[in-house]
Amino acid sequence: MKHLHLGLIVAMILSLAGCHRSSQKQQQRLHLFAWSEYVPQEVIDGFTKQTGIPVDYEVYDSNEKMLTKLLSSPGHYDLIQPSEYMVEHLIKRGLLEPVDQSAIPNVGNLLPEYRNPEYDPGMKYSVPYMAGTVGIVYNSDKIKDPIRGYQDVFQPKYAGRIIVLDDNREIVSWALDVKGIDINDVSPANLAKVKPLLADWLKLIKIFNSDDPKPQLFSGDVDLSVVYCGDAAKLIEQDKKFRYVLPAEGAHRFIDNLCIPKDAPDKQAAEAFINYILRPEVSKIISDKFPYTNPNGAARKLLTPQQLANPASYPPESVHLEIFHDIGKANADISQLMTELRNGR
Amino acid sequence: MTQAVAIQPISNVRRPGWRGWGLFAPMLAWLALFVVAPTAILLVYSFFTGEGIGEVDTHFTLQNYQRIFTPVYLDLFWRSIVYAGATTILCALIGYPVAWYIGRAPASRRGKLLMLVMIPFMTSFLIRTYAWLIILHEHGLLNGFLEAAHLIPTVFSHPLNILYTPTAVMIALVYTYLPFMILPIYTSVEKLDPSLIEAAADLGAGRTRSFFRVILPLTWPGVAAGILMVFVPAIAMFAVTKIMSGGHIRLIGDEIQEQFEGGGDLPFGSALGMALLILFLVTYWISAGRGAKELRGA
Repeated sequence: MKHLHLGLIVAMILSLAGCHRSSQKQQQRLHLFAWSEYVPQEVIDGFTKQTGIPVDYEVYDSNEKMLTKLLSSPGHYDLIQPSEYMVEHLIKRGLLEPVDQSAIPNVGNLLPEYRNPEYDPGMKYSVPYMAGTVGIVYNSDKIKDPIRGYQDVFQPKYAGRIIVLDDNREIVSWALDVKGIDINDVSPANLAKVKPLLADWLKLIKIFNSDDPKPQLFSGDVDLSVVYCGDAAKLIEQDKKFRYVLPAEGAHRFIDNLCIPKDAPDKQAAEAFINYILRPEVSKIISDKFPYTNPNGAARKLLTPQQLANPASYPPESVHLEIFHDIGKANADISQLMTELRNGR
Repeated sequence: MTQAVAIQPISNVRRPGWRGWGLFAPMLAWLALFVVAPTAILLVYSFFTGEGIGEVDTHFTLQNYQRIFTPVYLDLFWRSIVYAGATTILCALIGYPVAWYIGRAPASRRGKLLMLVMIPFMTSFLIRTYAWLIILHEHGLLNGFLEAAHLIPTVFSHPLNILYTPTAVMIALVYTYLPFMILPIYTSVEKLDPSLIEAAADLGAGRTRSFFRVILPLTWPGVAAGILMVFVPAIAMFAVTKIMSGGHIRLIGDEIQEQFEGGGDLPFGSALGMALLILFLVTYWISAGRGAKELRGA
């Protein structure tokens, strides 16, 4: 009798798992797993119209969340959108499928400087989607003193008027920049060096928010911010009182990519999608909606002079820009340090 | 001897037959799949070592539990307990009179009143939390109302700055969990026989005395259930704390989320989860024990 019950339960579990499998095989379908606020719905609809392949679009708001989800559902996603350091990490762990460039003729549209990234030489596993910087946006109606870098933002007189990205590694990298330390050199000794500075900064910050800092800046709840350039560009588009500054101490540049995870069920659909978004007119739609730095040279020709003159999207080349690298276990040290500081200890 | 013989057939009758097991099987499967299995996985993981994002070293270690007993994380647990405790107390103080009112209302009106308590559940609680942002922020509805009513600058010298403070977090927590306190207390109040209150009055007990000696003990099962239903989820609350405090106040739930999704130390996150589970069990044990005692006392 007992065995029968156990058998029943096992059978039920198996049948549940079975249902899942069989429903997947029915039809070609692209499982896209991408950043929130990054892929316009019209682009996805356009792709489906063009190719007849429906798209399942799921979103995440940090590379780490994406990785966690990817690891817990192997063989589910066809296309992911990791940033440069995550590409490096995924390649290191053998979690990516090589991208067949012959299936993506539109890679030719990419500007030469994006075609041989240091995290993935020769674009074997990744194709750049959008690039950008993390920088300072301030309301020039309210802030009259010059803002050149992080140290001008994090001043006691601006306490309670600052919003920043809710991203521990970002915040720590700003402090490393101020101290003149390489942002990828996250050793316990270096973290100890920036700890007092971070402790002072955190007291001044009013809001931590990675999703969308624009409403708080618009409403005047806060006047200074350290945000993604895409949000900055949108603020500037809507009101010229907002200014974008790349921090003088050094700024962080990111490149988000499209990659195909290992065991992706539909590699062809993924490559078709990459090729589709690299079309100049499609890439332009993305830039219109999310004004990051477009790596697509052919698409840039379609942008208006105003779009190209937006300092947040296309900043002057004068500031020292660095990309993040995979720092492995040091992530946990950053997490512990920030938990400690943000608990006010 | 005869007694033992007499008891035997009764216990036989109570043993569930295969039909009973059949009805129970989905529940068992549910528990096994969604409670026992995940908890077991969590337990096993909590003895591993985190090796960067999403990677683990599977050698047995107790270091994750040792790390919990450092000031940073003890602080976090303590703060979570304080917030959840304050939420529970406020919910009980606000919820009891409401539940009493509904429970004593004419039967025809009770349904409608209960409906009012339940209506918020029809919207996602995250959306309701965002609504609080609109109400509380510096140029929001609350300050707008106060200004329109000329309470600013007469009563309050400047617009209230509630959002992104602990007060905002408390407002959201109490608001979220109040129905979970009202409903169980209501059930107890409804069952309370009014003649017992009359009897207390007849025997000379004043209003206060009959409340503390008769009404409260008799409705305690509802209060105990309410405490459990508010305290336990409130202690593990996340997201709401982050939204309402602008990321300044982090409770244990936020930290667990950070370990699983941000910092990537899964074993440590698992250990924190296990610690939280132990905290739940202790809470349950205390409230259930206390409830049972009160019942016996009554």
